[in-house]
Amino acid sequence: MRKPIVFTSEREMPPMAVSLADMSHNRTGGWRYMRPIYSEKIAPCKNACPVGNDIPRILSLVSEGRYEEAWRLFRQTSPLPGVCGRVCYHPCETRCNRKDFDEALSIASLERFVADACFDLEDKISDRPKRSEKIAIVGSGPAGLTCAYFLAKDGYAVTVFEAASQPGGMLRLGIPSYRLPREVLDREIELIARWGVEFRTNTKIGQDIDIEKLWEQYDALFVATGAHHSRALSIPGEEFALTGLEFLKAVNAGQTVNIGKRTLIIGGGNTAMDCARTALRLGAQPLVVYRRTRAEMPAIAEEIEEAEHEGVQFEFLAAPTAICRRDGKLEVHCVRMQLGEPDRSGRRRPVPIPGSDFRILTDSVLKAVGEEPDLSFLSEHLETSEGIVMERAQGLLERAGIFIGGDAQTGPSTVAQAMRSGRETAYAIMRFLRGERKPKAPQLDEALRVNFSYFVHKPRVPTPQLPVSERTSSFAETKRALSVDQARTEASRCFSCGVCNTCDNCWVFCPDAAIVRTNGSYSVNYDFCKGCGVCAEECPRSVISLVEEEL
Amino acid sequence: MRNFTLPAEELMGSGHLGCQGCGGALAMRYVLKAAGDNTIVVLPACCWTIIAGPFPYSSLKVPLLHTAFETAAVAASGVRAALDIQGDTETTVLAWAGDGGTFDIGLQSLSGAAERNENIIYICYDNEAYMNTGIQRSGATPFLAWTTTTPEKTPKSEPKKDIMAIMVAHRIPYAATATISYPDDLIRKVQRAKSIYGTKFLHVLAPCPPGWRAPSELAIKLSRLAVHTRVFPLYEVENGERYTLNEPKEEPALPVSEYLKLQGRFSHLTENDVEAIQEIIEKRWQRLLRMVRESS
Repeated sequence: MRKPIVFTSEREMPPMAVSLADMSHNRTGGWRYMRPIYSEKIAPCKNACPVGNDIPRILSLVSEGRYEEAWRLFRQTSPLPGVCGRVCYHPCETRCNRKDFDEALSIASLERFVADACFDLEDKISDRPKRSEKIAIVGSGPAGLTCAYFLAKDGYAVTVFEAASQPGGMLRLGIPSYRLPREVLDREIELIARWGVEFRTNTKIGQDIDIEKLWEQYDALFVATGAHHSRALSIPGEEFALTGLEFLKAVNAGQTVNIGKRTLIIGGGNTAMDCARTALRLGAQPLVVYRRTRAEMPAIAEEIEEAEHEGVQFEFLAAPTAICRRDGKLEVHCVRMQLGEPDRSGRRRPVPIPGSDFRILTDSVLKAVGEEPDLSFLSEHLETSEGIVMERAQGLLERAGIFIGGDAQTGPSTVAQAMRSGRETAYAIMRFLRGERKPKAPQLDEALRVNFSYFVHKPRVPTPQLPVSERTSSFAETKRALSVDQARTEASRCFSCGVCNTCDNCWVFCPDAAIVRTNGSYSVNYDFCKGCGVCAEECPRSVISLVEEEL
Repeated sequence: MRNFTLPAEELMGSGHLGCQGCGGALAMRYVLKAAGDNTIVVLPACCWTIIAGPFPYSSLKVPLLHTAFETAAVAASGVRAALDIQGDTETTVLAWAGDGGTFDIGLQSLSGAAERNENIIYICYDNEAYMNTGIQRSGATPFLAWTTTTPEKTPKSEPKKDIMAIMVAHRIPYAATATISYPDDLIRKVQRAKSIYGTKFLHVLAPCPPGWRAPSELAIKLSRLAVHTRVFPLYEVENGERYTLNEPKEEPALPVSEYLKLQGRFSHLTENDVEAIQEIIEKRWQRLLRMVRESS
């Protein structure tokens, strides 16, 4: 920086008015009362993702055709991108900023695309610290698998105990293959095993192996046994009904289940939808009986839409009161309901209308009114309320090295929530073994302000679907993969909210030439920045914040 | 994503005296990027007389000649003639004047230079009033705008002078409008002007946050809205005949209220006032479309 020129006499001055120096002695930064700072924000999609996938960066890589890097970025937060790309309810898309401009990004389809494109890739098994502690995980569903992956990656010896003959938990037993082809699940489990995770199948806790023994033999224990216990209807003739979960498990295991021509499914959750769509594929005509209306159904909206689309029929505002045998068939006695006052869940409580009884004749009945965890093997140690683990009891257990997570802790939830629980538990176990406290996670602001002026309207690429006519005859996957062109086009729609992608706008629009551009990054020259705020306003993706200058 | 690719070279240095969010400073930064370092700037009295810095300093990295208020075009003609005599036809001579020095005080000398088809680029950066002397109204001040000489009770009662029509009537080889929210368009137009012999005129809308009574961070947004509401369409006219419309492309246009409501200088407007302004805009827009149609 130059010093100001000072003339001490007339003789020192030039003979005419010419400039002798530039204005760089004039530090206009002193005018500033608002300071622009580059501070990347968390994109709402990433914030909404239970697994915390770095969606903006991943989509940016996909748009450039860098699929392997995208896949490896997924695997930093999730060992199951192929599974999630298919079965996740994608809360990320619900929060996508682009929905306020035209349509949300098709994030789930892109996750699936990346997983498919990289199906043959493997993790690079890095040098890990060798650790002596052994960890037992009970249950190999999404929570158990995710926990195993993160612990094994950090060098711990992990053994996963599974009651069924193959690992996967609800992913294998509960989710039909038209939503999740088994080779995808098998491959992702195989990649977890490559990290040295040992799977002991056909080993049921409380039956084949004792919890106390595991506790003795292992340094920490993760109970992720899921929620497999079907709730009762508590009506006469209940014994004639098969549980929805038993039905799905049997069909998914390749067993023949005779449900006849007409099957009645009781319930409105995801299990009910899976049962109905599976029954349809077995050649039956399913009828879903639900005591509230479509709006209150707890199933994921997309699953309800697909069921309707495929021809599943619904009987809303109806509740079964009894099941009887009649002429080799089953007769379900129902009562018509109406919606009353909201209950604890905020949904309006269904109330029977007196004298509105009616009957439905059917070949079989599947009950799917919810599942709950069965933690009886832990009963000596654990206080539960309606099957849900009490927080205080859990804290005590954790101090002793027993962690509970996934559906076993919360009751039935989503794959992504179970995975979040699995990963958080992996870190909790590491802290437990190392005697560390939980660090305070930095709270990042969400990138909510997008300057739409810099984007061009472009419709969302629809996910290709198997025609309905081809669906009911087979268990072929209903959603198809995006093509390479479709994936790159769709990924390029991403706004990259909160993530600088060196678009140059801050540099372009600075009236004071006070933004310094150096190989792919920017900084503010605070000697000259006057704090006008133009850079923050024109940043398309809210990477720049204005903070008050300390005076 | 719309991306801009601008020449990297900075010929306007930091430390200049432009206000926060100065549209005129940003316009100069772009214009010099396009004109290149072999340029001489001729500057009459205007904001930039101050912005460039006091004697013996200049924030421009090219030669800069200060001259009297009414003389931008004629002084530039003189510089051009001196260069030509020395056999230098490469150096670009750029007259850089505000709206006061163009629409009002310098109009006579500008008309003279255009009539002689002097080989200069004349750029008017238009902030729609005499800003550095205290926001007095000029011939470029919009209809019903507040200035210190047209206070709220008696806002400016005349519409903005159509300087482009005046310049086009001189049948100069190139005249164009541009603004700071479309830097690539502005740079292309300066480069185009550089490649043409004769008088080239650029009318550049340069938002002035203090004078327009608007927050400084909205400088670019205001410029963009001026285009999107058709208050300031971007177009080019060759040889006084051939009209080309560049922006806005989007149909339908935003209502002018979107532009006016962000500026304190219009805060006194009634609904009827806004309607009257909208009518003027619509009339000028239809005339522009007619000229574009007739020349194609």
